[in-house]
Amino acid sequence: MAGSVEHEEEERLSHSHVGRYAIVWIALLVLTLVTWWLSRFHIPGAWGVAVALGIASAKGALVALFFMHLWDQRGANRLVFVTSLVFVALLVVITLSDNATRFPLANPPGSEGALPLAPTDYPGGPPVPAPRDGPGP
Amino acid sequence: MRPDSATTAHLAHHFESLEKQQHAARLGMWLFLATEVLLFTVLFAGYAVYRYLFGPDFAAASRSLATWIGLVNTVVLVTSSFTVAMGFHRISIGDGKGTRNLFFLSVLLGFVFLGFKYVEYSHHFLAGELPGRYFTSTVNAGPGAPLFWALYFLITGLHGVHVVIGMTVLAVVGWKAGRGAYSREYHVPVELAGLYWHLVDLIWIFVFPLIYLI
Amino acid sequence: MNPSPASEAGYATRNYLNLPATGLRSWLRTLDHKRIGVMFLVAVSVAFALGGFFALLIRLELLTPGPTVMDAMTYNRVFTLHGVIMIFLFMIPAIPSGFGNFLLPIMLGAKDVAFPRLNLLSFYIYLAGAAVAIWGMIHGGADTGWTFYTPYSTTTTTRVVPVLLGAFIIGFSSILTGLNFIVTTHTMRAPGMGWGRIPLFVWGIYATSIIQVLATPVLGMALLLVAVENAFGWGIFDPARGGDPVLFQHFFWFYSHPAVYIMILPAMAVISEVVCAFARKNIFGYKAIAYSSLGIAFVGFFTWGHHLFTSGQSTLTGGIFGVLTMFVGVFTAIKVFNWTATLYRGSISFKTPFAYFVGFLFFLVFGGMTGVALATLSLDVHWHDTYFVVAHFHFIMVGATVMGFLAALHYWWPKITGRMYHEGWGLVGSVLVVLGFNFTFIPQFLLGNEGMPRRYFSYPERYWALNVASTAGASVLAFGLVLVLVVILVSLRWGRAAGPNPWGSAGFEWNTPSPPPPENYHETPVFTRGPHEYHHEEPGGSPPAGPEPKA
Repeated sequence: MAGSVEHEEEERLSHSHVGRYAIVWIALLVLTLVTWWLSRFHIPGAWGVAVALGIASAKGALVALFFMHLWDQRGANRLVFVTSLVFVALLVVITLSDNATRFPLANPPGSEGALPLAPTDYPGGPPVPAPRDGPGP
Repeated sequence: MRPDSATTAHLAHHFESLEKQQHAARLGMWLFLATEVLLFTVLFAGYAVYRYLFGPDFAAASRSLATWIGLVNTVVLVTSSFTVAMGFHRISIGDGKGTRNLFFLSVLLGFVFLGFKYVEYSHHFLAGELPGRYFTSTVNAGPGAPLFWALYFLITGLHGVHVVIGMTVLAVVGWKAGRGAYSREYHVPVELAGLYWHLVDLIWIFVFPLIYLI
Repeated sequence: MNPSPASEAGYATRNYLNLPATGLRSWLRTLDHKRIGVMFLVAVSVAFALGGFFALLIRLELLTPGPTVMDAMTYNRVFTLHGVIMIFLFMIPAIPSGFGNFLLPIMLGAKDVAFPRLNLLSFYIYLAGAAVAIWGMIHGGADTGWTFYTPYSTTTTTRVVPVLLGAFIIGFSSILTGLNFIVTTHTMRAPGMGWGRIPLFVWGIYATSIIQVLATPVLGMALLLVAVENAFGWGIFDPARGGDPVLFQHFFWFYSHPAVYIMILPAMAVISEVVCAFARKNIFGYKAIAYSSLGIAFVGFFTWGHHLFTSGQSTLTGGIFGVLTMFVGVFTAIKVFNWTATLYRGSISFKTPFAYFVGFLFFLVFGGMTGVALATLSLDVHWHDTYFVVAHFHFIMVGATVMGFLAALHYWWPKITGRMYHEGWGLVGSVLVVLGFNFTFIPQFLLGNEGMPRRYFSYPERYWALNVASTAGASVLAFGLVLVLVVILVSLRWGRAAGPNPWGSAGFEWNTPSPPPPENYHETPVFTRGPHEYHHEEPGGSPPAGPEPKA
């Protein structure tokens, strides 16, 4: 089997890992401070979210690639993780795009463009829900 | 193939070689982590939708969170992830005791994280921000505020549960490593425990800007 | 492959049924994938019987326009029981956890699945979830239907939370089984078993497992959110508190639409094996069938919004979902054409499993075509929430999936038990079942098209005749299923020994003795040919050159 060769390879890699771990750790701390610092400027609109998520993704990539060793893993494991991220994007993007492109009055009352929510309805919320028609799939 | 003693001790009867067994364990763990990611995705998708619908309410409600707690907890978790990675390195050069010490240090950092969470939770509960029948907060009274708090408690609560599970796993595996259960050749459980902890860290990396830094 | 020397008249006495021991304890603590598979089969069959009983109660109630045997609330509980039991306790685990567990390692030439302990755990989680759900049903009983739509499910006074938690727990069983199968397929293949030689049954189960692993956590979380809202009033989906009930439908169908493919893909996988074995011909388009399984698994995730056409979803999203839904039809058609092309110039022997294949093909095509019609936005507005939808998904989920289940049961029964059932009575059972299904659900298509809504316990008198026809069909179906059960059980005691390969099938699983020994193969097999290579041999003859023991 090619096992022993792979094994030696792994060993060689694990020595260089210490330096790599330390660099990644420092990078993560720096990025944490950067995202906190940037958040104090209240970047307008969607850009603030985009920047925050961009930095978070960079940090997440560092953790996944180096702490979790995806950098030097087999293809199958990488594929599993990437696939799960595709489905994360699928669920978030499609549900969000539904609400974003809906007829505004079909969005929950109280949200922008929709019906106002009666002030008595919150806080605490009333026990009686508004009547809705058409249950069932 | 002539298996050495370290190989035969850990090789399950239905596997052909230890390599295959370890590959199987790793792949299984990654699949499990994928299910964990999708478990959290539901909450993040709910967050995305409600933040889109109630943006100003979310920003206002988020302002009553103590940002410094989130920041400190991020630093704590990132550091614990680093110590776990170092612990994995120790066992890969055969130093089980080193792994134990570093894993126990990570568990300690986990306790620090939970301590801050406790401070935070009790504050927000007393401020009447737990949704449902205890919700009395009028500070940021918009229709989206209770939704923000519901998502806040759900996301950080589910994450907290994972922290507790991860700490337990690290403690058990660390203790076993200290007693010499793993070696340079065979230390897959150490690796898998580490993977789980890194995932807990990974999720928090996204929780921090979304919940605290609006 | 030499038959075991101890076997007499083809029955291998050294088998997994009596080794290592025959006591109940040894079964309950077993790690053998074959025993776990058999335990799953018994459990899902009990669930099937229970769900079928509630189906009969539904049909009985709908026999007359007004109240017949129960009040409206009881009816709501009964159809919820029927749906929850059939979907979560029967259809999702039936073929993957039952037959998949038994066959997948054998087909791959492995001694067991990758994680035998997780496998057993999966079974006990299934039992625990079933216990919690059924306990909740008995003490109060949910009346929401299996879909648990908010805001009704968060405000109803019936006991929804235990049922939700039960479904949540069963989800973990599904995840663990799927995870196990994926890892097994990747790492446990015997020498010579490349990706191009994997039997199509395994391909189908593999594709199913991907869906199980990726989609089930979403359902778990969504159900948990409903439970939290129901128990603590957190208002996550409550429109009176700013929540969006349609968001729950998104989460629910993100799982539950792919779940339809969790139910149908394994049935398609069974059919791919059966059609080869009884046409005595290599499968036409191996790669097309294998990849279309993965294609269905993938595209199945992009279609969930077609359940939300009339619930306030945006028109744009609805249109996109409608178009994407039709792609499923493309992949399904690839399979159907390949199966029928396999029959061409084959040497067909019309045995019971083949009869179920014929039924399957009809139900799949008919149900699939009505599904494409339902995916059309404008048509769906008319048919939504009518019996047309009920008939459509029963054609796919009950028609096709149960046909696949029964085909698998008859086809692999000799392998699992080492005994043959009575062929003639088996055929009679299959004819009754196929006809019964048609008589039950074709009237429901007509009812739905005339506008009869689902989930009501009474209806106007003009729908009476068709409802009587449907109920009559249901009784034929029930009778057929009971007959199948009797035929199968009788064979356990009086059936003749099957021998290792009674069908003369080329499938790898037929190269072990029947019933297989605990370690599946006496020696590690080496695969030297594809899984469906036939040379028109006589049934009962010696098996084609298959995996041979290592020299």
